[in-house]
Amino acid sequence: MSDKTTFDSDPEVLSRIASLNICATNLVEGLLSGHHRSRHKGSSVEFAEYKDYSPGDEIKHIDWKVVGKTDKYHVKQFEQSTNLKATILLDTSGSMGYESPDPRGMKKMDYARTLVAALSYLFLKQYDAVGLSLFNENVINHIPPRSKPAHFQHILHGLATMTPTGVTRLEDVIGNLVERLPSRGILILVSDFLTKETEVEQKLKLLVSRGLEVILFHILDPDEVSFPFEGDIVFESLEDDPQVGLDPEDIRETYKREIQNQIQYYRSCCAGLGIDYVFLETSTPLEQGLSYYLLRRKSLGKSRT
Amino acid sequence: MSLNFLSPLYLFGLLGMTIPIMVHLLTRRQQKHLRFSAVHLLLQSQKRSIKRSTPNRRFLLFIRCLGIALLSLALANPIFSFSGPSDFLPNSPSANVFILDDSYSMGTLADQKSYYTHAVDALLDMSQSLSSESVYSVVSASGPARVLLDWSTDSSKAEKLLKLSQPSSRTTDIGQAIAETFRLLDSASQKKKRVYILTDRDKNGWNEESFSLTGETRYPINIIDFSGMRQGGNRAAVEHTEVRQEFLSNSRVIRVKTKILNLSQTKPIRKLKVSLWINGKKQNEGTLDIPTKSSAEKEFSFPLKENVALNGEVRIEDDSLLKDNVRFFNYQPNRTIKTLVVDGDPKTIEHQSETFYLERALNPFSVSLSNIEPTVSTLAELSTRDLFDYSVIMLCNVRDLPFGYEQELEKFVMRGGALFITLGDQVDAKFYNERMGNILSVRLQAIHQIAKDGEPFRLLIKPSKHPVLKVLKGRTLEEMKSIRFHSLYSVEPRENLKLTVPMSFENKFPALIESTAGKGKVILFVSSIDRDWNNFSIQPTFLPWIQRWVKYSARGLDSLMLKELLVGEPFSREEPSESSQTYIVLPGGKTTRPSFENGQVTFESTNRPGIYQLYRGSSKADTNATLLQLPPGTEPAGSFSVNIDTTESSSIKITNEEIENFLPGMDITYFDGYQKRDLNGSEGGSPMSTAFMLLMGSMLLFEGWLVRKE
Repeated sequence: MSDKTTFDSDPEVLSRIASLNICATNLVEGLLSGHHRSRHKGSSVEFAEYKDYSPGDEIKHIDWKVVGKTDKYHVKQFEQSTNLKATILLDTSGSMGYESPDPRGMKKMDYARTLVAALSYLFLKQYDAVGLSLFNENVINHIPPRSKPAHFQHILHGLATMTPTGVTRLEDVIGNLVERLPSRGILILVSDFLTKETEVEQKLKLLVSRGLEVILFHILDPDEVSFPFEGDIVFESLEDDPQVGLDPEDIRETYKREIQNQIQYYRSCCAGLGIDYVFLETSTPLEQGLSYYLLRRKSLGKSRT
Repeated sequence: MSLNFLSPLYLFGLLGMTIPIMVHLLTRRQQKHLRFSAVHLLLQSQKRSIKRSTPNRRFLLFIRCLGIALLSLALANPIFSFSGPSDFLPNSPSANVFILDDSYSMGTLADQKSYYTHAVDALLDMSQSLSSESVYSVVSASGPARVLLDWSTDSSKAEKLLKLSQPSSRTTDIGQAIAETFRLLDSASQKKKRVYILTDRDKNGWNEESFSLTGETRYPINIIDFSGMRQGGNRAAVEHTEVRQEFLSNSRVIRVKTKILNLSQTKPIRKLKVSLWINGKKQNEGTLDIPTKSSAEKEFSFPLKENVALNGEVRIEDDSLLKDNVRFFNYQPNRTIKTLVVDGDPKTIEHQSETFYLERALNPFSVSLSNIEPTVSTLAELSTRDLFDYSVIMLCNVRDLPFGYEQELEKFVMRGGALFITLGDQVDAKFYNERMGNILSVRLQAIHQIAKDGEPFRLLIKPSKHPVLKVLKGRTLEEMKSIRFHSLYSVEPRENLKLTVPMSFENKFPALIESTAGKGKVILFVSSIDRDWNNFSIQPTFLPWIQRWVKYSARGLDSLMLKELLVGEPFSREEPSESSQTYIVLPGGKTTRPSFENGQVTFESTNRPGIYQLYRGSSKADTNATLLQLPPGTEPAGSFSVNIDTTESSSIKITNEEIENFLPGMDITYFDGYQKRDLNGSEGGSPMSTAFMLLMGSMLLFEGWLVRKE
């Protein structure tokens, strides 16, 4: 939750930031983009409509000319196009640090990082404010939303310096964070959702009820989906589970069924809550996943407006 | 409590456990460690998976190793016992005598090997297990018992002596062997002394006459009985063969009668194959049913084509003891019936001699016509004659015999010779009644004479079925009615001998009495054979009548000379001249030279049953007792057969009580077969092989089930 203004001068971090920057900008510039309208009204130069005054409205927005003519208090409303606040919640638990022995794409954490960076860049490019929260069992780093272009560097630094560790406690984190999040805006949750928690749906419902537009990016390594391992293997947990030695052949089908059940659970749960759910395997090119999502958003946005 | 192994060599099979271990190590997949994100899902899947009970490979390996170990242990014949080691083979310095029963009954097969081989293996095993200060000795128990190996500490000596040995063809004589053993043990200085008898406990071998316990010393005796290993059993034995030649019919038929014993105490034998082999070729074959504990006879007959020596054998189908399934015989068919006519009333005028008519009737023209070759002898010459050179002895009006000669005559008859006695005025009835009671079936009572001009005694003429008389028919028979008998002896039968009366007088007095004594026949004609008491000898019927009686009674007895020898009995024969040398070809083909002494050829090493061929050659041959082959110029000079004594074949075993009576006061321990456990003690142990086998089987089943489940 630090709001550092100075960055570490660690060359590795810097190079990681640079590469993230390049990746994200390339991605976004290549895709983009149009633009992305907020459905919230805000202060802007662009008039939207009048509204009857009600106590609590800012007096400065009363259109005195209309009062003069009609003796009724009307408040001017403007199209709010730049005051979108997006918060990206990135899971940095141990499970996100999975590295395949037989890599078929990016590492899961790198994939998530790049995705987050690209989304941040995208928001900032549209002058929207974007913030980043990194969490495992707790929120370990919170960067509040800002719309300054330089804010991108903060986000990149946050991404570059984090290491996946700890256990996923999504329910606790959402419960803690929900009060601090802006009541409106977008919440993007990037995680592998490999958690034993069962109340995630409740928490998502809570977010939605707060007026937040929630988008879930469910990222998994292809290994985690197809479980392609052979031979006697002792699986050591990246989180807090005990290690288990087995022949993957024995449980492959069961495991695949389990993981598909989980994916299906999130997919149906999100559909029910009006949450955008995007499932991405790290073998899927990021731009493909991202563009698919943006196209979907666009069509959804149009339908909403 | 101890666990011993009878076949410890199989314990090397435990090394076989390395095979599954090697396979396990070679096929073991390298266990990898992998850091994985969704381990909780794996655990969940593992719980839900049907295959979650995958057997532990190490557990499988353990079961496989255990299976192999159990197999190896089971093959090693483990014996488990709660008791401690016994005193069977003392560890302290001791003197041990092994009495090895090498009689032919030990040749009985059990487990592909003979009892004898089992016994030798046991003996060698025990001799090797003796402590280094112990001495041992080996005594043979087949008669005559002898010390095979004197005191020794070197176990290899017994191995050299016995490893390739075979059981002898002799019978058991345990008594003599024990006597030899005690003599040996008396001379031993060791404190501990043991006797081990390795035998099949044939009852006939325990001959009390050959052994008597003397002295106070008593030695512990261990009797190891191998007869418990019997599988098929010794079913039958050829006990006896007898060859006869039929002279009465002109076909010259040879009859071989054989007697087969059923040795089983419980089972009758059905359709036992019996075959007759003559000069190496199967001549005849048949089957025989023999009731339990009994014997049956089978007779083979075949025509004799030429007068060559017959070397034959009777065989029965194989059982577990092969030696008693064959019996050898040899037979020299007779060209003529040699007949010794003893004239008890010789006269200087030839035709007045008692045997004048008889001699001419027996051999009217030449030998080839009648096949009877009479030799007339006076009583004085009798002692120079060997009765066994003849088939028929005719005593014609003989007063009495030289002292002791009646015993020779008895022996001759018992062995199959024919004795034809005719009476007359010279006959001393007292002598005949008192001295020849064993072969003569009647007592001579009194001479009956007709009065002057009285009616003579006449033969009662009627058709007879007697083999001799049945050819006399019609006119011939009528002619016999005219024979006039003036004098004759009346006789009364003895109680103990069976007799038949083929011819009698009209006054019911017997005229001719036929009886059997031993294998031979005795025929008594109650009148004289010359013209003194009747006119029969000048009647035309006399010639065929007397010839037929001689042929009927004779059985081709040249071969009686060559009496049936048993293994170990010496063969002896008179050698006509010193200028020739006799050779014997043994059944194995080896040629040897028998010893010659006082005009007798004697051969004592009749150790193998079979036909021994005799050859005669010049005496200039080398003097080596054993020859590689017959010297040139030798000619066959007959043969003789040697057979085993079938008393050894008997399946009757001596009981523990009988042994204890035989060896009173001895500390006797009985062992049913030799097993290594006896060496190591724990003789009362229980064999664990089956248990281990079952355990191994269940291990394999369990392993199979686990693998299948996997």
